[in-house]
Amino acid sequence: MTTDDAVWTRPALLSQVLRARHDGRTEVTLHVAALDDARRTIGLQQYLESLAGVVRVRADIHARRLRIAFDANRIDLPHLLQACTACACPARPLRHECLDASEQRAANESLKRLAVAGLFTMQAMMFALVLYLGVIDAVDAATLALFRWLEMLAATPVIGYAAVPFFRHAWADLRAARAGIDAPIALAVVMIYAASVFNTVRGAGHIWFDSAAMLVFVLLLGRHLELRARCRHQAVNHAASDAVPLLATRRNTRGQFERVAALELMPGDLVRVSEGSVVPADGILQSAHARLDASHRDGESRARAVHHGEPISAGCVVLDASIELVVTHAGSEASAMRTQRLAADAARQRARTDHASPGVGHFVAGVLGLAAATGAFWLWHDPTRAFDSVIAVLVVACPCAFALAMPATLTRAMTVLARHGIVLTRPRALAALACIDHAVIDKTGTLTRPMLDPENVEIFGRCTRAQALSLAGTLVRGSSHSVAQAIAHADPGAGPATATASNIEVSAGGGLRGRINGRPLTLGRAGFACPGRADDGATWLTDADGPLACFHLTEGLRSGARDTVRALRISNIGVHLASGDHRARVAAIASRVGVEHWLARQQPADKYRLVRDLQAAGHCVVAIGDGSNDAAALAAADVSVSLAGATDLARRHADLLLGDDLGQLILARDVAIRAMRIAGQNRRWGLTWNIVAIPLAACGLISPWLAALGMSLSSLCVVLNALRLSHPPTVIEPPRPFTPTAGPSA
Amino acid sequence: MNALIILIPVTLVLIGFATALFFWAVNHDQFQDLDTPEVLPLMDYTPGPETCFPETKELHP
Repeated sequence: MTTDDAVWTRPALLSQVLRARHDGRTEVTLHVAALDDARRTIGLQQYLESLAGVVRVRADIHARRLRIAFDANRIDLPHLLQACTACACPARPLRHECLDASEQRAANESLKRLAVAGLFTMQAMMFALVLYLGVIDAVDAATLALFRWLEMLAATPVIGYAAVPFFRHAWADLRAARAGIDAPIALAVVMIYAASVFNTVRGAGHIWFDSAAMLVFVLLLGRHLELRARCRHQAVNHAASDAVPLLATRRNTRGQFERVAALELMPGDLVRVSEGSVVPADGILQSAHARLDASHRDGESRARAVHHGEPISAGCVVLDASIELVVTHAGSEASAMRTQRLAADAARQRARTDHASPGVGHFVAGVLGLAAATGAFWLWHDPTRAFDSVIAVLVVACPCAFALAMPATLTRAMTVLARHGIVLTRPRALAALACIDHAVIDKTGTLTRPMLDPENVEIFGRCTRAQALSLAGTLVRGSSHSVAQAIAHADPGAGPATATASNIEVSAGGGLRGRINGRPLTLGRAGFACPGRADDGATWLTDADGPLACFHLTEGLRSGARDTVRALRISNIGVHLASGDHRARVAAIASRVGVEHWLARQQPADKYRLVRDLQAAGHCVVAIGDGSNDAAALAAADVSVSLAGATDLARRHADLLLGDDLGQLILARDVAIRAMRIAGQNRRWGLTWNIVAIPLAACGLISPWLAALGMSLSSLCVVLNALRLSHPPTVIEPPRPFTPTAGPSA
Repeated sequence: MNALIILIPVTLVLIGFATALFFWAVNHDQFQDLDTPEVLPLMDYTPGPETCFPETKELHP
C-alpha cells in the first residue's frame, strides 16, 4: 500500500501523528519496515539528521520504529517521508494511540534502581571489608565506629530507593491479604536494616548492611533482565501490529474503490469491509444487514446482527459477507483499540506471571510461619542466635528462584522466536505447544495457495473470457478468501469502473451470490452454483440462465509444507487435513504432502467438531488455518497458528503468528520443547535449594550474609540458565547418494 | 588516617556524581538503542542516499 505523501499536509491527519515537545520542537514516530539491519538504520539515521531542520533521530530496531524530532518551521512531514523513500526505506507515520512506552519506562526505572544498588553496594562492601579486618584487631575502635556509620550511609540509598519496588509489592500483597514472593524479601531487608541501624547507633553488635545491599542488588539484576526481555517482546509485537496497518477500502470521487490507510478516512466516506476484516471506523451500515463479532469490547466472540441504518463501532470484525458503511467518526479508534487490547492482554499476563500460582502463596505462608517458629524456638533456647536464625530462614526460604523460573524462560523463548519472525501472542501457549500430539491443518490458503491462470478459464459461448473474469473479479472484490484472491489477481481489471456487486451473500464452503447491475450471479463450487451438477473441483460462474464460465484453479504448495508434515509425522504427531474442498482435490494434495488422515467437504462446524473430538480423546491439538472458514476450530484448539495472509479474525485469535513459511511451526515447537525443559530444570533447582537450605538455616548453621549470597546466586543461576535457550541447531541432513546425470550424448 | 579523611568524602562525591550522570543518561534514552551504533566505527563515508543505499542509485539521476 502506498500513501500519497500529499495526504500528510492535511492538518486533521497531522494532528493525529505529530506531537509537540516541551522544547518547542515537533516529534513524529514512523514505522519503517526496512529497519532490520544496523547499517541501514545508521545510514538512514545519519542521512535524516543531515537534513536541515531535523534535530534528532532515534531508532528502535526491534520495533522497527523511528522517532524524529524536528523543527516544524524548517521542514515538514512529507519531506521527511520523501527522504525516507529516497533511501529505499518507505516510512509510515504512526498515531499517538499506537505508541505505548510503558514497558520502556519501567525498564528505565529499573535500570536506574539497579545502577544505584550496584554502585552503593560496592561502596558498602568496601567499607565492610575494613570492619572484617577489624575482627583481627588491626584497626582501632574509633575507626571501626566511623566505618559503621559510613557503611550505613552507603547502604541507605540501596534500601531507601533501589529496594522500593519490593516494599511496594509486599505492601500491595498485604493489603490484598495475599502472600506474594516479595513479602519475605521485604520483611528480611527491613529487619536486617533496622537491626543494623540500631546496632550502629548503639555502637556495639553485628551489622549486616552489606548482606542486605547485595541481596537487593542481585534480585534487582534478575528482575531487570526479565523486564528488558519483556520490553523487547513488546517492541516486536509493535513491529508486527504496525506492519499490518489498518487499511480500508473506500470509494473515491471517481466511483472506484481504493485501498487507503484507515486513519485517512473522513466522515462521509463510503467504506467497504470484506468478511473477516476489521471495521476501520465508526459508521452507519448501508448494506441490508450484517453479522459482526464485537469481541474487542466484551471479550466473547458472539455474533451480533446489525441492520441497515444502525451504527457500527470501529474494531468489530465482519463475520458474514462484505458490508458497506458510511463513516461518522474519522478512523481513529480501531488501531487504538487493537493496541489497547494488546496492552490489556499483556498487562493481564504480567499480573498472572507475577503472582505465578497459588502454590507460591501457600509456600510463602509456610515460610513466614517457619520463620516465626524458629524465632520463638531460639528465643527460648538461646536468645543471642534468634535474630540471625530468623533472618537466615526468611532469606533462604524465599522462593524467588522458583518463582522466577517460568517467567525468565518464557521471556527468553519469546525473544528467540521473535528473532525468527515468529510472534507468540500468548506466552501460556508455549507450554501447550511443547506437548501437542495432533495437528489439524486447513488446506486452501494454509497448505496450498490457489492460483488462476487466465488461460484456464472455460467459457460457454455466452460471454468472452475477459468479461467472465471481470464479472467474477467484481463479485469477489473485497473478499478475503484465498480462491477469491486468486481470481481477483487474474482479473485484468479492465471492467467498467462503476460496476459494483450488491446483495452479496457468502455461503461458507460453497461460494457467493450477488448482483451486478441487477443481474444475479453465483460464483462457487459446482454443486452450489449449478444445482444438480456433480462437483468437479472447479469454480463456476453462473447467472439465472446457466453457466457463464468455469475457472480451473491450480494449487501451489506453500513453501515448507511437505517438510513440515514429514517433520510432524517423525515426531509422532498425528496430522489431519480438514478442508471444505472437493474429495479428489483433497486426496491429491494429501498424497502430495504425505498426510494420511484427510477429510473433504468440511464445513466450519465439522472442523470444530474434529478438534473437539481429538481433545475429548485426551490429545493436545494444534490448529493451523487462515481463518476464512475455520475460525471456530482455531479458537477451540489448544494452540492456534495462523500464517501471513490470514484474515484479521484469525490473526486476532491466534496464539502463534508465523510468516510465510510453514516450516517455522517446527522451529517454534523445538524452541517450546527446549524452553519447557529449561523451565523444569530451573524449577527443580529452585525447589532443591529451598528444601535443603531451610533446615540448615533454622538450626542456625547459616549466617545472614551466607544466606543472602546463596539466595542471590540461585536467582542468578535461574536467569542465566534461561539464557541458555537459543536458536535450535540447523539440522544437517545426511548427504544424498550421488546420482550421475546423463552425459552430453543423451 | 589523614588520607582517609580526604579520600572518603572524595569517594562519596564521585559516587554521587556518577549516579547523577547515569540518571541523566537514562533519562535521555542513551541506553535505549544499543544495537545500531555498533557499525558506526565501520562507516567511513559521509551519509547520503547514494553511499548508504547503493541500490537506490537508479532512483537518483
